[in-house]
Amino acid sequence: MKTIYTDNNATTPIAPEVYQAMIPYLTEDYFNPSSMYEAARSAANAIAEARQAVADALGGVDPSEVLFTSCATESNNTAISGTAKANPTRRHIITTAVEHPAVLEVCEDLERSGYELDIISVDESGRLKIDEFVRALRPDTLLVTIMHANNETGVIFPIEELSRLTKETDPSIVFHTDATQSMTKLPIDLRGDFQHVDLLSFSGHKLHAPKGVGALYMRRGTRCRPLMLGGHQESGRRAGTENVAFIAGLAKALEIANQEHEESEARIRRLRDRLERSILKQIPEVRINGKDAPRLPNTCNVSIHYVEGEGMLYQLSAEGICASSGSACTSGSLDPSHVLKAMKVPFTAAHGSIRFSFSRYNTEDDVNHILEVFPGIVANLRRLSPYWDNQKNQPRPEAVALQAE
Amino acid sequence: MAWNYSKKTQQLFMDAVQGKPGTHLGEIEDPDGLGEHGSIACGDALRFTFAVERHPTDPTNDVITEAKYLTFGCTSAIAASEALCEIIERGRYTPIQALKIQNQDIVEFLEGLPDQKIHCSVMGAEALEAAVFDWARKRGVDLKLLGLENRQEEQEEGKLVCECFSVTEPYLRRKIKELNLRTIPEITNAIKAGGACMSCHHVPGGLQDLLDETWGVAASAPASAPREEVELDATPPISPYQFSKKIEKTIEEYVRPMLQQDGGDLEIIDIKDTLVYCRLAGACSGCAGAAQTLRMMVEGTLKDNVDQRIRVIQV
Repeated sequence: MKTIYTDNNATTPIAPEVYQAMIPYLTEDYFNPSSMYEAARSAANAIAEARQAVADALGGVDPSEVLFTSCATESNNTAISGTAKANPTRRHIITTAVEHPAVLEVCEDLERSGYELDIISVDESGRLKIDEFVRALRPDTLLVTIMHANNETGVIFPIEELSRLTKETDPSIVFHTDATQSMTKLPIDLRGDFQHVDLLSFSGHKLHAPKGVGALYMRRGTRCRPLMLGGHQESGRRAGTENVAFIAGLAKALEIANQEHEESEARIRRLRDRLERSILKQIPEVRINGKDAPRLPNTCNVSIHYVEGEGMLYQLSAEGICASSGSACTSGSLDPSHVLKAMKVPFTAAHGSIRFSFSRYNTEDDVNHILEVFPGIVANLRRLSPYWDNQKNQPRPEAVALQAE
Repeated sequence: MAWNYSKKTQQLFMDAVQGKPGTHLGEIEDPDGLGEHGSIACGDALRFTFAVERHPTDPTNDVITEAKYLTFGCTSAIAASEALCEIIERGRYTPIQALKIQNQDIVEFLEGLPDQKIHCSVMGAEALEAAVFDWARKRGVDLKLLGLENRQEEQEEGKLVCECFSVTEPYLRRKIKELNLRTIPEITNAIKAGGACMSCHHVPGGLQDLLDETWGVAASAPASAPREEVELDATPPISPYQFSKKIEKTIEEYVRPMLQQDGGDLEIIDIKDTLVYCRLAGACSGCAGAAQTLRMMVEGTLKDNVDQRIRVIQV
């Protein structure tokens, strides 16, 4: 059975060209790039070229402002904890209710050790409440950390405006954004619209490079200390022998994304929009989460009322379709997605959320296949659902009342 | 990172280590000038000697005829030493003329040096300078009378903090105190350290740590933005509540009517001390000139009527 992979916000397949670009550094060019002998030159050059490629992809920043890390989680941890360490007199942090745990839990951990934390909420379409953000800004704020695009819903936050408001309040406040989901999908120009951003994180495996490599942009002069100590690599800002092959892969992935961006973005958007339109038409009682906000073109987060997400995922998987869900059963906790909860999605729908996320490797046939099986999968579960009236093919009145609570 | 030396540098180095004729490895016995520079900690040190043809009457017209070096260091340090000696012997300089040789001349002679190796050329120039001062002392030449200051710094061994400008930790610690440097920009302006790649700013043992250790953490951290007490010239001082009310009243009376003439409106989101966060609404929202409008008109009006320190931030 063919695998239909529509979970690209979780990870992406490695592009064949990326794989090829990595092979030399996994075979003959295995040297430590810090070594002095001639043989190590190509490994060192690969890192220098990759750094330039990342710098170019971020709007032509200086290569010395780019640090390679092991993943976006490490980049986020470095950005947040490192900023706290470097600015000990400031104790106030602002973030949002819908951040990835790699940001939210680091902030909450600092809160436990005495920092003040303001968590800005979102409205029902997932938009950040700007007024609440403005009121939270303080002259002694240490750090603002706000994601660029949400991993679950694809909703985009106005980083240009948020970072400008931050710096106009006080230029010493550090502004960090987690761009893991938006890198290569949205324009990021740290010399233009993002000129007020000090720190920006992303990883390789969301853009067809392998897992195990990430990057952190650190604007010159930003007050941020390293997380990883014990080596001169990355100018002392991230110790540890460089993962040469993966770093080379990351650079190759950015290069391809840059070449293909416009063509693939339009095509991906068409796939996503057709899937959403058809689901809305074929399945009653559904809602598209984040529909009214600016969104990534590749992400479809749909809530199917009165059914549980995990059951849908399981059946999709039996058809070879890979997707994910914000349901409690899939998260390892008893709570449904904190993102959907923050958007006040009724819990009858939060548990029934499914996320399809596309990449340039998806085809019209993939969408056709999803549409062939998905309405049946939902119907199967609704047949079993105590909240669904199968005769009338609508929710039972008591279920509707439940939702209104 | 693998080596990246010019052909000239590689050639000079190979010639020197193979002891080819015409190279300058060694030490002149009873030299007329002797200078040393560098430190074991940085991995290179240079002992430079020269001999002169003495002028019978005027020592300032002595001519350097021979120069030799002993160098403990890397490829480029040795090549730079070789370059220094060649430049001097070819030029048949007087010691005072030789003082004009800069590290840049050595870099050019070597057809370039990698950035992180520039300090090797600096080392050559510094050792030369020290040797010339030694010669002056021996020959009874008062360089001060010739308008030349003894710029020779005491040698300082220690960990390199700023690699770009080869600035060591002991030197930094001393300068931070002597010059009362309180912030990283002050350090950079005073002694260049941290001015190029900036990566030494916030690493362990970096500039910020040295500042913190010298002055204490609280003193060298950036202060919270000054929370200016909102006070008007008028007495008694105005309370924050009255201050905000005055802003609202001004907007109500002057600003809003002007905006409303054009079908626009204005919403105050927050007031923090003298920062006023506003959003333009109605016909004004989405207007390209909105930012300009706010700053010019709203800020100007509030400054004139409430307080000159007010800044308007557009939301």
